[in-house]
Amino acid sequence: MNEKTLQMRLGLGACLMALFLVFVAIPNWVAAPSNVPNIILSPLFWPYTLSAFTGLVGLGLIATSMRLPVTDETLNDPIDDLGPARMRMIGIAVIMLVSMFLFPRLGMVWTCMLAFLATAFLVKTRHPVTAVICAILIPLILYAFFAHVAGVAVPQGNFVRLP
Amino acid sequence: MSFIDSIAAGLTLVGNIESFLALALGVIIGVIGGAIPGMSATMAVALTLPFTFAMQPITGILLLLGVYKGGIFGGSIPAILIKTPGTPASSATILDGFPMAEKGEAGRALGMALWASCTADLISNLSLILFAGWLASFALSFGPPEFFTLILFSLTIIAGVSGDSLLRGALSALLGLLLATIGLDLVYGTNRFTFGDPNMMGGLNFIAVLIGLFAIPEVIAMVWHPTAHLGKTRQLGSSWVSFADYKKSFKSIVRGSFIGVFLGSIPGIGAAPAAFLSYSEARRKSPDKENFGKGEVEGVAASEAGNNGVAGATLIPLLALGVPGDVITAIIIGAFMIHGLQPGPMMFVMNTSIIYGLFIGLIVSSVFLFIFGSLAIRGFKYVADVPKRILVPAVLILCVYGVFAVNNNIFDIGVMFAMGWVGYLMMRCHIPAAPFLIAFILGPLLEDNFRQSMLMSGSDPAVLIRGPITWFFWGATALTVFAIIRAGIRATKGLKSSTHEVDLSSE
Repeated sequence: MNEKTLQMRLGLGACLMALFLVFVAIPNWVAAPSNVPNIILSPLFWPYTLSAFTGLVGLGLIATSMRLPVTDETLNDPIDDLGPARMRMIGIAVIMLVSMFLFPRLGMVWTCMLAFLATAFLVKTRHPVTAVICAILIPLILYAFFAHVAGVAVPQGNFVRLP
Repeated sequence: MSFIDSIAAGLTLVGNIESFLALALGVIIGVIGGAIPGMSATMAVALTLPFTFAMQPITGILLLLGVYKGGIFGGSIPAILIKTPGTPASSATILDGFPMAEKGEAGRALGMALWASCTADLISNLSLILFAGWLASFALSFGPPEFFTLILFSLTIIAGVSGDSLLRGALSALLGLLLATIGLDLVYGTNRFTFGDPNMMGGLNFIAVLIGLFAIPEVIAMVWHPTAHLGKTRQLGSSWVSFADYKKSFKSIVRGSFIGVFLGSIPGIGAAPAAFLSYSEARRKSPDKENFGKGEVEGVAASEAGNNGVAGATLIPLLALGVPGDVITAIIIGAFMIHGLQPGPMMFVMNTSIIYGLFIGLIVSSVFLFIFGSLAIRGFKYVADVPKRILVPAVLILCVYGVFAVNNNIFDIGVMFAMGWVGYLMMRCHIPAAPFLIAFILGPLLEDNFRQSMLMSGSDPAVLIRGPITWFFWGATALTVFAIIRAGIRATKGLKSSTHEVDLSSE
């Protein structure tokens, strides 16, 4: 994607977002009392103002994109393994989602150990043994610090509980 | 309380081994964090923040300030050795530092970077001590309209951190302002974008948002392209900086320090412009100007003095007005708030001992920076050897623990992950993240002060121009906006003419 295309897409995205906010999000998800004496004191005033500015910036982005020259220069470095890269992105998203599910059930320490290992192998570490050692030690050290020094109630889960 | 009494109170507060250890540890963490490309001083400060929750306020804040100071210097190490600035502020150091490394003078360049950094740091700290109190006493006469105009002016700092495109910076800031509207309304207590979830009624956690924006995108970027970081580390070489080098560069160091102090005291300008301005001034004034860019030690000194001169000065608006001078001080302001302290003019009245304790700690940090910076230069090779594909999962786990520790709430970890994807998308779309964060912090303050002004005046907008302070900030905002627009027009004209030249040459 070149600069011109990016600027145009961002502009269109900003305009669509402004329209969505004005016509859907704010009317449905912002509550305001009916007896507000002045519009500028209403809880709706600020979100509407910001939405209007977002629309204006979107129009500005579209206008500047039209003035930009068309070039072959891409903004982001190309990647050799596009398919596997996309799979890795899905992988990290799954790690995050599964971690969120496991934190209260398995406990933060064990979940973090699994997340560390999964991430290290996802980024194709060349040091698998070091990764395994770090995956065990780092969450344990952090648990020791946060639970016993900082007094944070780190979730322990339903299975193996740490002292 | 007299000046001597204040100093004594500050000394009582920081004159213990715990404070000095925190400061020393902070400098070490900062130097290492700044020296690891892709980690940056900002991320180092953000990752250290959760560890300060259990500490005494002064100890925690000193730890963060140590990380900040160390991080700014640490960024110069990879800038000189591998042409990769550890922090954006070190970009100017590459210009002469890397050519020196190529000539086998990396040790000399790093030594000069350290000496210039420590000198500038000291000058910057002294400026903070001299000016912050004066500015705070002036700010005591501020009411909601004055604060509204000040924060509006502060939002113009977004121009300084927007990078290539001001419009993208503005879009980022608007997204930050919109995100800040989540939660209960400040005046009527009604829900705004909470979707009935009690976790969202207090708004999104600031720490989760900032760690999500700055640290998680690096993890995702690593997953996208795991081998993008591979590069070479250079040797230090046998030559070392001499006193003659320092003497030769002294004028440039002092000039650069004051440039840094001046630009740092204006919220949002940041260290990178100060470093480049200092560098260009040194080149303009130097008798060896033709050597600049080819490995001139004075060039390294000037750029490092410029970026380190900013470090103390950014704390002037933070302590005196409660306005963050840059992204790192925006994180540090979070530490103040978590410890129940509100930076600003009242802090000089209510928490004098903490203010003077910080001043004393900052002076000591320059000494620690010199000691640990010298060691770091020699030890960097070992730090650089930490495989990035081990470092990145470790950062992810640190972020998880750190964000959870703020409120003991797993929901915050979800916010961090979500913001991480937002930050990554912004990174891919070249939308700067700094305006987002600054707007997210300043947004509620802006709205709150605006509505308070309207309430106290019976919705009369004239209250926003009620006195000289508001006139001053309106004028400053107008001038800054004018300068931004003019710079934008010039940049567009420059782009057009260069495109035209390219077209002609291709024909």
